[in-house]
Amino acid sequence: MTKVVIDPITRIEGHLRITCEVENGKVTNAWNTCTLFRGFEIFMEGVDPRDTWHYSQRICGVCPNPHAINSATAAERAMGVDKVVDNARLVRNMLDAAQLGYDSILWFYILNAFDYVNVPDVVNATTTDPALMLVRDRVKSVIDTGQTSIFSNQYWDHPGYKLPPEVNLVLTSHYLQAIEMQQQANQACAVIGGKFPMIMNMAAGGVTQLPSEPDIVYYMDKMQQVKDFTETVMWPDLLAVAGAFPELATFGQGCGNYLTWGLLDAKSQLPADRVFPGGAIFGRQLKAEAADPAEARLYTKYSYYSDSMGAGKKPLEVGQKAIEFNGFPDIEGEAFPQGKYDWTRAARYPSPSGKDVPMEVGPLSEVLVAYLSGRAEVKAYVDQTLAAVGAAGKPEVLMSNLGRVAARVIKARVNCDHALGWAEELLANIKAGDTTCFTKPDLQAEGEGISGYDAPRGALSHYVRTKGGKVVTYATVPASNWNLAPRDDDGVRGPVEEALVGTPVADPTKPLEILRTVHTFDP
Amino acid sequence: MRDAQPSPVRGLSRREFLAYCGSLAVLIGLGESGLPQVAAAIEQALKRPMLVWSDFQECLGCTIALLQATAPTPAQLILQQISLAYNEAAMAPAGFEAEKSFSDAFAEGTFWVIEGSVSEKIPGAISIGGKNAGDIVKEYYSKAQGVIAIGSCASFGNVQARTPNPTGAMGVRAWLRGPGGIPDATVINLPRCPGHGDDLVATLTYILVNGALPELDKAGRPLFLYGQTIHDNCERRAHFEAGEFVEVFGDEGSQKHWCLYKVGCKGPVTYAPCPINRWNGRTSWCVHVGPCTGCSEDNFWNDLTPFAEPVPNIPVPAIGGASAQTIGLGLTAVTAVGLGAHLVGQIATGRLGAGAPAEPKAPSGKVSETPKGGDS
Repeated sequence: MTKVVIDPITRIEGHLRITCEVENGKVTNAWNTCTLFRGFEIFMEGVDPRDTWHYSQRICGVCPNPHAINSATAAERAMGVDKVVDNARLVRNMLDAAQLGYDSILWFYILNAFDYVNVPDVVNATTTDPALMLVRDRVKSVIDTGQTSIFSNQYWDHPGYKLPPEVNLVLTSHYLQAIEMQQQANQACAVIGGKFPMIMNMAAGGVTQLPSEPDIVYYMDKMQQVKDFTETVMWPDLLAVAGAFPELATFGQGCGNYLTWGLLDAKSQLPADRVFPGGAIFGRQLKAEAADPAEARLYTKYSYYSDSMGAGKKPLEVGQKAIEFNGFPDIEGEAFPQGKYDWTRAARYPSPSGKDVPMEVGPLSEVLVAYLSGRAEVKAYVDQTLAAVGAAGKPEVLMSNLGRVAARVIKARVNCDHALGWAEELLANIKAGDTTCFTKPDLQAEGEGISGYDAPRGALSHYVRTKGGKVVTYATVPASNWNLAPRDDDGVRGPVEEALVGTPVADPTKPLEILRTVHTFDP
Repeated sequence: MRDAQPSPVRGLSRREFLAYCGSLAVLIGLGESGLPQVAAAIEQALKRPMLVWSDFQECLGCTIALLQATAPTPAQLILQQISLAYNEAAMAPAGFEAEKSFSDAFAEGTFWVIEGSVSEKIPGAISIGGKNAGDIVKEYYSKAQGVIAIGSCASFGNVQARTPNPTGAMGVRAWLRGPGGIPDATVINLPRCPGHGDDLVATLTYILVNGALPELDKAGRPLFLYGQTIHDNCERRAHFEAGEFVEVFGDEGSQKHWCLYKVGCKGPVTYAPCPINRWNGRTSWCVHVGPCTGCSEDNFWNDLTPFAEPVPNIPVPAIGGASAQTIGLGLTAVTAVGLGAHLVGQIATGRLGAGAPAEPKAPSGKVSETPKGGDS
């Protein structure tokens, strides 16, 4: 039995340690430890409910937009605005679509690709394509200097790097294109939202203003480029990687429960009508149930808080104040984590039997729920993916690392298919004389608001109680509380921990496969 | 695929490079024994500057902002202009291999950019490889060629330092200068939220070109970037002067791009180059779409909130500029944040028109000082 600790896990948002027990070439047990704590729910008490969206964007600088949307929605519901005007919905969708465009590209290439693409091997590629020769020479010049920058010290000799040099070269050139392309998506976001990250045009009650017509046209031009890249570069790359690494379908199955609040609002602004509808799947059954963010529960027996702080309570009753931190588990030595080992609280959801169970969140959950809810556009992409890996008609094959990788790209394509349409709708509304974008909330209202709206990495919900122009209590249950949950009070592993169990490890000193499984969750 | 000692000159093998250095050594009078000296000097001169980028209590927003830099692009920056030895979001290796990249870079000599705050009250609120951020900062500060705090977290603690500051979050400079630390520690602060990639590139370029640090204000910000307020260079400034204000989001004034002061803009008390270098390849910037929150100022989450309320005590020109009114008393915390003296100067030169200026408040220890106006 070998103990494998990876700290820091790189190419993620946040600070994460993974500890695995490896026996006979496979992970037999796993623990995830988030090594960052800031205390948002503590210092957001007392703030002006109109300001919460500024605060919550700082929870995640990779995906601030859905935090802003959830904060504004929860606050406006607490202050008597149940629905925003349609132009505000369109602007929020456009902001989120741009962010999703960037985030999928960021994840697929910049965060994920080095688990599969051997960059130094590019120098061995044969090519006559002038653009590819340029990329090869650029990589070679970096290696020749001996200053190998972000490529230093990786175990590039791991047998998991099995793509031929020519494919490595093409994917490396796409990596470089991806850097430029994620900028295009963020420029689309910035022209509407002022900047990215940390948009500036949100408001509890709608948005601060409508973009001008030239700004909308600029947005459409940028998003058209993102759409083209997603279709003509990222999609074929997905199918190529899925074909080259068929073993991805054989591990990382995880807990088998899937949850999404949905995202990208339709005119009704109801979660069931969203482009990706809200829903839950239990025990790998091919059937989607309704899901409600009010029903999320939190546990803290294995987190750095008192056991009784969580204990299955609803988010607004939990908070972050009962801190009980007395050090992280040892990296060195034989001992595995005992007792409390994570800053993250364990989020759980009641299954149909009434028992609170771990739920995997993220694009795979969103795609599966949309597929099982009969969304034709999602089904078309899922079917193409299944055909490419020789599993036509078997969506359960996606309940694996393969599915997580594929679902991120499927989500990106569906998103891009809608982005330009929302911009056109907004242009039409403005031309027809509808320039409304804001409903003034009742600042003094005593109320409670809940909003569930998925971030790029999965289910995200915000909860707020307001009174007399102040936040009384604020709570968030981000995707990390679901996917990176530690064990719950019954000792049941969280989704990433569960997905790691069974992951093959060819060489425990070079745990590439563990990184692959963790990265499929985009933690 | 990588020589232990590669040639630093493209197109020359190691052997050819050494032969070249040998003849150079003879040429400049050192004789053949001067070869290692010449080779070392050339290798040093041809090396790209090394950069280690650490992440502490943060949201990764500054890293994402760096990825939006357009001149140079991140690819040009990483592959051609610097050697980014360590950045947790971008680097290939993880775990022990990542830690090796970190220590290798400091052994060779590196600039150090820090994103994120240090937590004084709960040191384990941020830990990497089993080490707390505070300990990492104290261990490596003196080994770095220079330390740059990117963004408001590393500069001042930012949002997580808002009262009651559960983890004791603070900026890197304050942490270094604290009890048992280094009283004269130098950290260049580049606060905005997120930090701006262009600010970092400009500061690094300044240092490399001039061989010296830029002049800093008392908050540790380079004056060449943070010498003027948002208000000084605002695209909506003419509407402020004309007394034309957005009263409610979405109103007629909002469609006409009028001044956002009354809906909470903190531009008059915020020192930052946002209107000049804007964001995302200069596509846009905050005040193009909504009110400034003052994110480059120390303690703005306490001193400049609620964001939705106007900064108090700003003399606002009435329409036509004939008389002035003072509006906006809604902020819970009255702030000085560099306003007083700067505003006096503006009024003295007639930029704000008539009207009594606010009484300047003495800057408290937590408030960043104005870079000009005579209080430093």
